[in-house]
Amino acid sequence: MIMDRLARALDDRLRLSPLTRRALAKVFPDHWSFMLGEIALYSLVALVLTGVFLTLFFDPSSADRVYHGSYAPLEGTTTSAAYASTMRLSWDVRAGLLIRQTHHWAALIFVAAILVHLVRIFFTGAFRKPREANWLVGVTMLMLALANGFTGYSMPDDLLSGLGLRIIVSVVESIPVVGSRLVSLGLGGEFPSDEMIPRLFVTHVLLVPAALVALVSVHLAMIVRQKHTQFPGPGRTEHNVVGSRLYPSYSLRSLALLAWVLAVLFALGGLVQINPVWLYGPFDPAQATSPAQPDWYVAWGDGALRLFPPWEIRLAGHLVPAPFFPGVVLGGVTFLALYAWPFLERWCTGDRRAHQLLDRPRDHPIRTGVGVTALTFFAVLVVAAGDDIIARLLRVPVYDVLNVLRVMVLVLPLLTGALAVLLARALRRSEATHLGDLTRADLRAARRPARADERTTADEPELPAPDRPGERIELWPDGEQWRWRYRNEPAGVAILGNRKAPTEREAADSARLAYPGVDHVMVPGPPPPPPHPVRAALRRWATTAIGASLLAAALRHRRRRRWGRNGPRPK
Amino acid sequence: MAVWTYRWRPPARAATAGAVLALAAGPAVLAAPAAVAPAPTSVAPAPTGGQDQGENLYRQNCASCHGDQGQGGPRGPSLIGVGAASVDFQVGTGRMPIPHEMQQPRRGEPAFSADEIAALVEHVTSFGGGGPAIPQVEPGSLPTGRELFAANCAPCHGGTGAGTELTNGWIAPPLYEATPVQVAEAIRVGPGLMPVFPSQVFTDQQVNDLTAYVQSLRSERLDRGGNPLGRLGPLAEGLVAWAVALGLLVAAARWLGRGAGE
Repeated sequence: MIMDRLARALDDRLRLSPLTRRALAKVFPDHWSFMLGEIALYSLVALVLTGVFLTLFFDPSSADRVYHGSYAPLEGTTTSAAYASTMRLSWDVRAGLLIRQTHHWAALIFVAAILVHLVRIFFTGAFRKPREANWLVGVTMLMLALANGFTGYSMPDDLLSGLGLRIIVSVVESIPVVGSRLVSLGLGGEFPSDEMIPRLFVTHVLLVPAALVALVSVHLAMIVRQKHTQFPGPGRTEHNVVGSRLYPSYSLRSLALLAWVLAVLFALGGLVQINPVWLYGPFDPAQATSPAQPDWYVAWGDGALRLFPPWEIRLAGHLVPAPFFPGVVLGGVTFLALYAWPFLERWCTGDRRAHQLLDRPRDHPIRTGVGVTALTFFAVLVVAAGDDIIARLLRVPVYDVLNVLRVMVLVLPLLTGALAVLLARALRRSEATHLGDLTRADLRAARRPARADERTTADEPELPAPDRPGERIELWPDGEQWRWRYRNEPAGVAILGNRKAPTEREAADSARLAYPGVDHVMVPGPPPPPPHPVRAALRRWATTAIGASLLAAALRHRRRRRWGRNGPRPK
Repeated sequence: MAVWTYRWRPPARAATAGAVLALAAGPAVLAAPAAVAPAPTSVAPAPTGGQDQGENLYRQNCASCHGDQGQGGPRGPSLIGVGAASVDFQVGTGRMPIPHEMQQPRRGEPAFSADEIAALVEHVTSFGGGGPAIPQVEPGSLPTGRELFAANCAPCHGGTGAGTELTNGWIAPPLYEATPVQVAEAIRVGPGLMPVFPSQVFTDQQVNDLTAYVQSLRSERLDRGGNPLGRLGPLAEGLVAWAVALGLLVAAARWLGRGAGE
């Protein structure tokens, strides 16, 4: 009742109800791939929550501090205040290590989810007009996420992160003419400077997060304004969005995903060790540890640095050192290509129309091929960042590993890209719905280049058909208001309009907007609801319960057997 | 000088390179490198009996490569002057005797009992030449040991003690199985590519400090954050982030999407 009165009071003053009603009726597509971005969003939520906790204990300063705490091997050692406070967080603050590890895991998942989301957007062509601006915002957020990941990783001032910072500083220094000046501007002096950690801190907790939150808002506002894209299907046109309303069904699903994200992140934070700074020790420019790699999302840059041959050239009297090409040029070209892709594709295909319906990856074999090529290239670079681990595990000379990877990074992307083009063409020309359905004849046919008519049919604009058999818009009065639904008998589809309309005319107008050219019929009342799903739910729960109890029994059996083999547990 | 640096010439670099490719192809081929692992050594039963025991063991297991009097041969280096610490380290860690020539013998179960090893050590030292004796390890200071470790050992064995690759297929092994005496022996002897740290470089007390710290690295208490993932660092963590966490979350998203009837 209090909620009711509060809502009424707010509505009296702010006139919220029309706005809220519209917002709650907003339709989200049901396909699971539309939730990938939400994984990133909720990881960001986890990052902000855990990060606030960490700032309460972290001391962003490179001033000397004598460590006193639970970690005996460092007792009495003079380290930076940043490192000492990270140690205190990890060993002496209650739940400090859990929160620190969860924060780090959340950062890894955040970038991974952004990447997977970007891959989905890319392969389905969701970046096409009118959504190019949102693509640019998204790519900027990816860049900011990388920057924030790296600054956060460098702040504890441990030996491993110090090595990474040294590398990135060297990469910046390799820029001809301005490099060393940029470094002294950024660090306030030579590496390692006293200004370094405070500046990293301000960047990490203030500048970049503020920009990220602002861009997330812009990203979401644009989605609301432009509405979602959707995969083609019966009842789905360029003029509507088919899915679930925000309230109740989609918000519940989204909250469930939030719970999943938090559960997985905190489980990892509690169960899997990440970045054990006490083992690496405080940073000292004279020391090193090995094997050493950065976090996975900057590992492609590290891999490129390892693979690139030590070529130095002189340009107009200036030395261009080797790290310039894999460090600065590759990074710059990567993000430029990402930014430019929507415009590049529009220029190449000449397709300037707006698209609300998504492509399947097979619909654009060339785009799919380019995407697979790029993904393979960067995947090989990430593997190359672990050349020391590969060499250790295989006991082969590390330079042989490097040489093999050098060949692979040039050859493998082309092979996978060509394979992707071939498979996409084969899928598109055959009746097969999955890769597994492809026959050898399909593959053989796919080797022929695309015919001219194929190129055009995919982009044919949707025309409202004068008469579509089996399709009807049904309108009926619902109390004072009107509702409508789209019904396609042959496809077995019935889609309810998401909002009630005050008059019959408005209901008919909104139906005409979503389904132009479909005949309207009046029906006396709402259609009968589908049979109650209790029985199906009960059956599903019973199956789950049986599975869980079988798993528990198997685990208990295994544990008992292990105990039996080793005798009683030592005290 | 390296004691057991049998020069195993790899048949072709291409073969090793191929192994990398094979690894990329799939975990099934991971079994292939296992073929290089030393076969279980067949050790002749040693007759019991004081002085003779060491000589018999040496004749049966070492002399074929290192020579009757430890003078060395085409297949094995001289043992004169390597010192008791070196013999105890090589045999005590199961690296010697090796079943066939290989570039870097691996740690394994020692082939002999403690008494037999002591007899063997005594026999080899009787060849003369001096060399470092088996160190007496005493308790040391952890903070000093940590600093020495970070400055001298971490570049090769890693700050976490997980070991890493060196040049040309050599590795600096992980330190988690070494006993205190073996750690001290390795410091003094410098097996394989490891540098020697004689008493002019590290005092006995410093060796004790280092030994204490390396022993503390073995402790699971340092893995208080949870599963250490082999202490291999950020790429192993990234693999878990992708394979476990993101895999779970994408599966969850699919499941939630399916619940909507899609």
